[in-house]
Amino acid sequence: MLKVFKYTLIDLARNRFVLGYALLMLFVAEGLFFVEDDPSKALLSLVQVVMALVPLIALVFTIVYSYDSLEFTQLLAVQPIARRSILAGQLLALCTALLVAQGFGLGLPLIVHLPNMAALMLSFSGSGLVLVFTALGLLIALKQREKARGVGVGLTVWFLFVLVYDALLMALMFSFSDHPIEPFVVPLAALNPIDMGRILVMLQVDLAAMMGYSGAVYKDFFGSYGGIAVAAAVLLLWFVVPTLFSFRTFQRKDL
Amino acid sequence: MAEPRITFTDVGKRYGKLWALRNLNVAFHPGEVVMIIGPNGSGKTTLIKGLLGLVRPTTGSIAVNGTVIGTDPAYRQAIGYMPQISQFPAALTIGQLLDMMRDIRELDDASIDDRLITDLGLDKQLDKRLNELSGGTRQKVSAVLAFRSKPEILVMDEPTAGLDPVSASKVLGRAAEVRERGGTVLVTSHLMEEVETLADRIAYLEDGHLRFILPMSEILESTGQQRLAKALPELLVRKVATGANA
Repeated sequence: MLKVFKYTLIDLARNRFVLGYALLMLFVAEGLFFVEDDPSKALLSLVQVVMALVPLIALVFTIVYSYDSLEFTQLLAVQPIARRSILAGQLLALCTALLVAQGFGLGLPLIVHLPNMAALMLSFSGSGLVLVFTALGLLIALKQREKARGVGVGLTVWFLFVLVYDALLMALMFSFSDHPIEPFVVPLAALNPIDMGRILVMLQVDLAAMMGYSGAVYKDFFGSYGGIAVAAAVLLLWFVVPTLFSFRTFQRKDL
Repeated sequence: MAEPRITFTDVGKRYGKLWALRNLNVAFHPGEVVMIIGPNGSGKTTLIKGLLGLVRPTTGSIAVNGTVIGTDPAYRQAIGYMPQISQFPAALTIGQLLDMMRDIRELDDASIDDRLITDLGLDKQLDKRLNELSGGTRQKVSAVLAFRSKPEILVMDEPTAGLDPVSASKVLGRAAEVRERGGTVLVTSHLMEEVETLADRIAYLEDGHLRFILPMSEILESTGQQRLAKALPELLVRKVATGANA
């Protein structure tokens, strides 16, 4: 597994898309900190960018890279090496490359301009989203035979998580505004890893106060270290479950 | 005759509703080169992929050296594979790719055959990135990888496609060496003229069925032809006629 990881990472280190991702994040982050006088306000804008951009890039890049390296994956699969080692090495390398790129593009500006808990939480949430959407991208690439179809499914998944899910959740909250639905808000938020990431950061910048009773429920639950641990566990689950399905699919897949 | 090195027993492979291979029963032995031929979609690639573990048979089993292949990848240590299309990680160099495969196969210096690197003129290009290589050069890299571990079983899918005649001759020469040291070589090719001098037996697949597997000499003798390209159509006509009479 480590051998596949090592050489896949060497390949990814020179990949233009990964370098472009790092530079794009750096450009966006530095730009926002430059435009806004108050770094806290820049952080809020950055949260919106990270929550939309990171899942999109992780999904699309993983899907495209997986299809483009299919022939090489076949070549690896005819070597005396278990399929699970191939997949684990490739997944680990993809996650590492994207996390390093993000650490450079997002982490560095945050350390320089706003070294506080909210920035740390944004880095943490962003990293969690990289892992989750890389795992989802890999599963999509393994399930779909055609590249165009795979990318299409990836974009649909991104659209569902970023826009449709929130719209449905808001519609639900408005429809049942007369009922005590707050206890259901936390588990519903946990169903969407992007929402989960956003809530974790928002709580650190104290915007939860503006979110009414729901905000209080979030604050009460996710505001504590225990709540953060639960949130991390949920993000981890979002990574682990698609990964397990990917291993099962790859093990049985005709290459 | 020696025990078979590779045995296909009642092997069938279905993709959706289409059977790519049906009830394949065939054995390949040490010290022979078998050329697998047939029209497009006849099941040649599926046969090869089954042996390599890239696809799993829907029915039957494949055994290598007497052991039925399953999920344990260890048997592939004995196999060298040269695919028809070679795509490698774009940003790696030839040298890095060779190192990677040596690491994965855990080869030491004594178990490596690097002669093809110099024979094919790749020794001066080891620092070149794989995405800078022409299709022919990528095919040469693919050949080096296939032969490097001194395989007992060599599988070549259209090995001469994209290679210049000199390089093709060197690759086929190495394949002959594998046979001479007791290896089993399976070759698919549409360019019969290039490979026929190497082949000991010819296996003909059609619609997923193995129509026949015969020694090369028998095919030429029975048809009175000198070349496989002429003998094969004649033989096929006879087989069809025989089948019709039966």
